[in-house]
Amino acid sequence: MSGDNIFEVANVTLRFGGVTSLNDVSLEQRRGEILAVIGPNGAGKTSLFNCLTGVYRPQEGTIKFFPKDKEPRNIVGRAPHRVTKLGIARTFQTSRMFNALTTFENVKIGVEASQKTGPIGAMLHLPRTRHEEHASDEKSLELLDLVGLNHRLNVTADSLPYGDRRRLEIARALGTNPEVLLLDEPAAGTNPSEKLELVQLIRRINEEVGVSILLIEHDMRLVMSLAERIYVLNFGQVIAAGAPSEIQQDAGVIAAYLGTSETEGAS
Amino acid sequence: MSEPSRLKRLRLDGDDLRLALTCFAGGVLLALMTGPEGNITDPTYSFRNALFSSHVWGFLIFGVLLAMASVYRRKVRMGVVSRNRETPRRTIRVTMTSVIASPSWPLRVATAVVALLAALLIADFTGPFVAHKFSVHVMLHQLVYTRTYGYVFIIFWLLNTVRVNLTPRSNRGVPSILTTTSAKLVAGAVGGFFFALCADSWLPPRFSFAYFTFTGNSDRAFLSHWTTYLWMLAGLFVGLRAVRAERTKSKMDLVSRWKRPHVKVTADTRFALYGAALFVAVEAPKFLSPFWQQSLFTQIGIYCLLAVGLNVVVGFAGLLDLGYVAFYALGAYTNAYFTGALPIHPPFLLNAFFSIPIAILVCMIAGVILGLPTLRLRGDYLAIVTLGFGEIVYVLASNLNNVTDGAGGTGTSGSFSMHIFGIHWALAGQAIGDDLNFYYLLLAFLVPIIFLFYSLNNSKVGRSWAAIREDEVAAASLGINSLKYKVMAFAIGASTSGVGGVLASAKLGALFPSDFALQVSILVLVLVIFGGMGSIMGVLIGAAFVGWFTQFLIFHSFIDYQDADKFMYLGAILILTMIFRPQGMLPSKRRLREFHDSEAGLGSADAMGAAAEGPLS
Repeated sequence: MSGDNIFEVANVTLRFGGVTSLNDVSLEQRRGEILAVIGPNGAGKTSLFNCLTGVYRPQEGTIKFFPKDKEPRNIVGRAPHRVTKLGIARTFQTSRMFNALTTFENVKIGVEASQKTGPIGAMLHLPRTRHEEHASDEKSLELLDLVGLNHRLNVTADSLPYGDRRRLEIARALGTNPEVLLLDEPAAGTNPSEKLELVQLIRRINEEVGVSILLIEHDMRLVMSLAERIYVLNFGQVIAAGAPSEIQQDAGVIAAYLGTSETEGAS
Repeated sequence: MSEPSRLKRLRLDGDDLRLALTCFAGGVLLALMTGPEGNITDPTYSFRNALFSSHVWGFLIFGVLLAMASVYRRKVRMGVVSRNRETPRRTIRVTMTSVIASPSWPLRVATAVVALLAALLIADFTGPFVAHKFSVHVMLHQLVYTRTYGYVFIIFWLLNTVRVNLTPRSNRGVPSILTTTSAKLVAGAVGGFFFALCADSWLPPRFSFAYFTFTGNSDRAFLSHWTTYLWMLAGLFVGLRAVRAERTKSKMDLVSRWKRPHVKVTADTRFALYGAALFVAVEAPKFLSPFWQQSLFTQIGIYCLLAVGLNVVVGFAGLLDLGYVAFYALGAYTNAYFTGALPIHPPFLLNAFFSIPIAILVCMIAGVILGLPTLRLRGDYLAIVTLGFGEIVYVLASNLNNVTDGAGGTGTSGSFSMHIFGIHWALAGQAIGDDLNFYYLLLAFLVPIIFLFYSLNNSKVGRSWAAIREDEVAAASLGINSLKYKVMAFAIGASTSGVGGVLASAKLGALFPSDFALQVSILVLVLVIFGGMGSIMGVLIGAAFVGWFTQFLIFHSFIDYQDADKFMYLGAILILTMIFRPQGMLPSKRRLREFHDSEAGLGSADAMGAAAEGPLS
């Protein structure tokens, strides 16, 4: 326990009927850190994300989130939108944009969700609504500048190329003003040059905006160059944790990815 | 591209001066055209008098006030905008024209009203007939019956249009000069027509407002005045919009609502469309016989009210509500209760007019109570639950003889008549001309509701609804509480339905449970689907068409037609709509894109608004 953690996940077990998706998983993330979770397909990475964002409710274990200068909160049992309000934002493995809305509107929805305007204010254009509207316009533009989509404000999300959609999704998640951003395979389906831009973008978000990043990714080169620490999941269990260089040497990890001629117990 | 220095200036800039000059020039032109108290054909017309007439000074003051407000506004804005200037970006042009648009609406309205009143007061005090023009009433008359103010706005507008269109494109972010010019011309023509009608002198008397003033029916005369004032206000609004145009466009540059793909209707043409619709709605019934006023226009008005309310639930929030008419019943019975028309008696009797807010409240609460448990359901399940609720209300209304008078209905004729604002807002079957009064009462509810719902849909709330409609999981990941927004839509729809119930039962003069049958819910749903879900203009068109069509069937049907047959024809319409134009006659942009997306297999919102499903990935 290093003291300044943002996430502390302890002994989380998630079952779907007889299938155990996560088995006694514990991990912790330090504030400001870029942490990666890797593992073969079906290892439970996305299930872990869904537990962290309140979509799934694990049967056992605790997930503590430490907002800055506030009391730690337990995530387990909280509805997803409440988890988001605490300061946890996420993107999805297959991008889930609001396709019929424009790029700008997509981001704006994320920004606006935390504003106080209600239906009465919206109907009557009360001063606060106007003020918030202006503020969310500004913030959305800033975010679109950050991810480099400011030239495509008014195209609908469905007409964006795949790489742009991923960046838009990041901008939208950042709109909720998170302290930690959970990225679920942000580089899936992007080409090498887009990957490079993505790495830079994630670094900038981490350093300039000051958001901790929790990353699921299959692209090992990207993970190794970005992450400060890596957790490896396999069959719902943490099989290794440590700095990228350590993970690369870890026999268990290599076995999990490449398979071995021996039985699994050998690791 | 960016011009940060522009923001630092607190002096009047070119735009301010130009606008002030436009005001001034408008006043001078006007004065030259009309003379102080007449027009150019008047033998007493004198150029000198004209130049020094009150109008000139009035509008000069108007211009100066606007310019002062601009400076004030920019000072305010400095504080807001000055942060984060280092990134080069589309400059927000803080100019004269932003004055009217940017501050909160009370300030905007106040500025305009103060300026106009100042102009008027001066006109009144310096006019030759000053002696007998001290009463407010006379002042308003002068306002109404002087066409001059109308001309000023038109001139104002045209100058502004020219000026805006001569600004280099890069400063405006508008697709083409042609588009904006034509849109403005359409809007301008409509605005001009409003004012032309205000100026009753050059039209044949049949078309002028004064015609109704002298028909001897005092209620009618009163209403005629009010419709005239309505056009005055509409004109003022149109004028403000024209002034605001440039600012909106520089905002468009940021957040262009113009450059979106597939958008054919610009804000101005839509505005003009609404204006034209309002104009037809207010003026057309005056030329019809009372029978048609009642059976066509009043009926369409009620359909519109119901359809606009259901559109919030079905079109905006994407929830299929088949028990919509239950809230209509609830509103009607609440009203009947408080006006003493039911067997059970209220603690105090209320004028029907004042029971409307109570009906709204009751329906809203009922909507929340029904919505909280059921809105967790999705798509078809929600439809079934609301259907059940509708049936429960129907059965209760039919069978609770001690409370509702049972299936025979309760006669409320007379107890709904309203005496308010000095007018007898009466019912069908009483006095001949009274239907029109009632119709205008309906419009007085409908128009603000349309305006409110329109702003609602273009606000955070509307965007959140769109997000929930498209992908509920993604919306939740952004912190949107989808249950809250769904209940909100449900309650808003319910309260609109409640108002519709009060007014419709007032129109009939009686309450029958059969008015609350399932078919009515489906009828309203037909209006929404036929017109185009999510589009207010669309559902209004749907309501107008169906309202007209049912009357058309009665009088022009080539086969033996009964009123109950109408659902057969409506069913046919619905089937044809689904085959040939499933998105409705005039769908909303968002809805249309969702529709295309779902046809292309993108996104998960289907045409009926079933929520996104599927596993999380």
